Amino acid sequence: MGEGRAARPGRARAERRLTRRRGARRPWPACRRPTPDRAPVRLHAPARRPARPETGDRPLASIDVADLARSFPTATGTPLVALDGVAFRVPERQVVAIVGPNGCGKSTLLRLVGGLLPVDRGTVSLDGTPVVGPDPRVGFVFQESRLMPWRDAVANVAFPLELAGRSASERLARARELLALVGLAEFAGARPHQLSGGMRQRVAIARALALEPSVLLLDEPFSALDALTRERFGVELLRIWQETATTILIVTHSVSEAIFLADRVLVLSPRPGQVVADIPVNLPRPRRLSMLDTAVVSVTAAAIRANLAGAADEPAPEEAWGLQPALAASRGRDPLEGVGVPAWFDPFGREGGA
Amino acid sequence: MSIRKEVTLSLVSRRPAGLFAAGLVAVLVAGLVAACGSGSTASPTVGAPTPLRVGLGYIPSVQFAQFYLADQAGYYREAGLEVTFENKSDPDLVTLVGQGVVDIGIADGTSLIPAVSQGIPVRYVATIYADFPSIVFAKASSGITGPADLKGRKLGIPGKYGSSWIMLQALLASVGLTPADLELVEFPKYGQDVAVREGVVDAATGFVNNEPVQLELSGEKVVVLTVDAITPLPGPGLITGEATLAGPKKAALKAFVAATLRAMKEIAADPLKGWDAAVAVVPELASDRETQLAVLNATVDAWQSSYTDANGWGAVDEGAWTESIDFMSGLPDSPVAKPVTVDQLVSKELLP
Amino acid sequence: MSLTQAQAPKAARARRLDPAPVLLGAVIFVVAWQALVWIGGYEPWLLPGPLVVGQRFVDAWLDGTIAPHATATLLEIVLGFTVGAGLALLVGMLLARSHFAERLLSPYLVAAQATPILAIAPLIALWFGTGLLSKVLICALIVFFPVAIATMVGIRSVDKRLVEMARAFRATRSQLVRQVEIPAALPAILGGMRVGVTLAVIGAIIGEWAGGERGLGVLINLARGSLFDTPLLFATLATIALIGIVLYLVVVAVERRMVGARG
Repeated sequence: MGEGRAARPGRARAERRLTRRRGARRPWPACRRPTPDRAPVRLHAPARRPARPETGDRPLASIDVADLARSFPTATGTPLVALDGVAFRVPERQVVAIVGPNGCGKSTLLRLVGGLLPVDRGTVSLDGTPVVGPDPRVGFVFQESRLMPWRDAVANVAFPLELAGRSASERLARARELLALVGLAEFAGARPHQLSGGMRQRVAIARALALEPSVLLLDEPFSALDALTRERFGVELLRIWQETATTILIVTHSVSEAIFLADRVLVLSPRPGQVVADIPVNLPRPRRLSMLDTAVVSVTAAAIRANLAGAADEPAPEEAWGLQPALAASRGRDPLEGVGVPAWFDPFGREGGA
Repeated sequence: MSIRKEVTLSLVSRRPAGLFAAGLVAVLVAGLVAACGSGSTASPTVGAPTPLRVGLGYIPSVQFAQFYLADQAGYYREAGLEVTFENKSDPDLVTLVGQGVVDIGIADGTSLIPAVSQGIPVRYVATIYADFPSIVFAKASSGITGPADLKGRKLGIPGKYGSSWIMLQALLASVGLTPADLELVEFPKYGQDVAVREGVVDAATGFVNNEPVQLELSGEKVVVLTVDAITPLPGPGLITGEATLAGPKKAALKAFVAATLRAMKEIAADPLKGWDAAVAVVPELASDRETQLAVLNATVDAWQSSYTDANGWGAVDEGAWTESIDFMSGLPDSPVAKPVTVDQLVSKELLP
Repeated sequence: MSLTQAQAPKAARARRLDPAPVLLGAVIFVVAWQALVWIGGYEPWLLPGPLVVGQRFVDAWLDGTIAPHATATLLEIVLGFTVGAGLALLVGMLLARSHFAERLLSPYLVAAQATPILAIAPLIALWFGTGLLSKVLICALIVFFPVAIATMVGIRSVDKRLVEMARAFRATRSQLVRQVEIPAALPAILGGMRVGVTLAVIGAIIGEWAGGERGLGVLINLARGSLFDTPLLFATLATIALIGIVLYLVVVAVERRMVGARG
């Protein structure tokens, strides 16, 4: 079944887009994205979603950012303008990646969306209602796992539930369920220092999902992981995304990572940050690591790179994503030259006979 | 002697108790050093003055005027002595004299009895205070005129130890009372005079030359209850170590006692001589001349009793010592660990 | 400080629980002590040997000389430590939170700590009597500073990223303090308490020296100043040392339990 889809990527994409557009206008859960590879695990109660107001001529978006600006005071007195006039929309269930040079305000943008920082100007809305502070509809995953070292994995996952005043039994049940979702059921009693970096980040994702957020914000969640773990993690994140009803906004340093995960890649300019490009990724879902070696990826990567041109630094090493040949090609004349499939590329064995 | 109970527990470090071991090591090292020190001081050169380390009370005071006068008037020098004064608290001094680190010093007779019973080799060689200076005092307005009147009264004490505690028990025993018949209030660091003045307690223990003197100067009529007529407890006097007494410094010690007694007689005749000598050592005393002179006068009074009048200055009343040993040995929670005799405590060899 | 390494591997923990080094140390200590007494030929009134002290220690415990004093001192320490450390926790958190409060209070805190407790103790005894209250106050006073400073430093050095994480999950002010800041600062706070508990022992003794009827400090005065019983003095010191060691170990045990192994 999965192979069939992979064989006809164009059609699959069209179907999915259609579904998504329809879904955007329909009440949830009709919009729920079909997950052809496996039966959906229903972790979220649909009743928890806030009612959506009518927005007139503007199409309803899960995340709606308009004219966002934010600056920070500096020692010299001249404020540092991190973001100025950022605007974009993320439809429900989409995965959008934000890339940009260092210091362009990617993380600031994510914090403004999540309500962790107040905006200077502009608005952020989730499902049509504005964000005014840390928001229960948002689950945050940080660059570092930010687990509490004195709590075991299950207690870390239960932390948001504890803050929300849920009963002990509910907390435990839900946290165990979430640990199972991220594949760490046997590690419920482990302290963070007993877990690997990738495991810690998976616990952090489980924690972010604890309150059934409609939006998952991820701030360079892979940057602390080693190469092999990073790519496994991308696959894992997409699986979790399939099994939960979340819209994802992810800040990343890595173009290939962005392409692999996202439906669209937003490119931010150097400070003051603005969205300079909104590049669709025409790869079918479910994504497979082998797709990274297709021409579509190379072309998309080239488009992103073109918009990143002039940025102060290069994005993170691409070796982690096995993109070296494709990217090398994208920089050269023939984007298809040197494409190959490394043997270790499909850690989950999903490539089948491909 | 109002400074008797200065607490300087050099053995107890002010460190976490967990560092007890380190503290102990320090004590051991100090002991070794002290032992070496005592060896080197015991070889006077013929013709050269004999060095003597003399231990006085913890705080330099007008109460040590006789030593200051004898020093300043050259009586010690004339006797071929080179005297160094050291201010030590009573427990320290007894131990140091026992070790031979300090050659001679002034210490309380009642503390000598438990010390000797614990094996510390010291001897009482001359009486300084012929009257026992530890007393009970009260305002005359309290209506207290004798020990029997203390029954049921509030009495301020520094603690249930030391010469004042022994004195109190002796005083009360004379009228068939025990400390349990009184309401005892403990005051730290000589708060008793204030407590009596302010009426917090009806009476308190103190020193004949200190609290009552100060209270009278402030215009109060004061009653003083002394123990001398009841149990003649031995007051502060000169003590020396057994080894020192048997050693080459014996003649020097005898000369020291004679010179000190000479100065005492002179001060008794003319207290201002003693006053001047004390001010020369402790200039701060001059700022409170009236009080300090009164203290000196009371001190001089306590130097003399009917016994010393009959037997000469510094005479040691062995009968009184025997009585005191018996009394202290019979006390509940007696401070006398093992039986002691007068011969173990007293030596008349240094008296003129 | 080998006991502080909460994250020490299991092998190290096993090594710590091994009684052999402790016993060896004790044997060396006792032998060296006895050797010094023999070689120096010290009389018991000057430096009693370990056997004499041990005998006196046992006798004094059996005949009830030490027990009532030890009980009194222990009560003072426990109450004083509880009051002092409790207040220090609150003030430490206030200091950590507010630079204004820190600037306002810290000169007085430092001054109070730099002033010898030995000089303050008689005043406290004058103002509050020579009963339990003044000793608890002196203990509390001496315990306060290290715990307050440890709390302040501990809370200040809580990972700001953890705080942001908790904020992202909508922690309230009090949830932040209880669920994040205090647990995160706990190793530092308990470190301060280790120092504090040993100081509390000293505080109680000094409080007793300033006046009082009962307590090991009083017994020291009695043994030294009134009885000239040096072996009893050493037995009392040994009792004080034991109390200090036991209380320290209690704090360490609490620390192990509460802090456990952290990454």
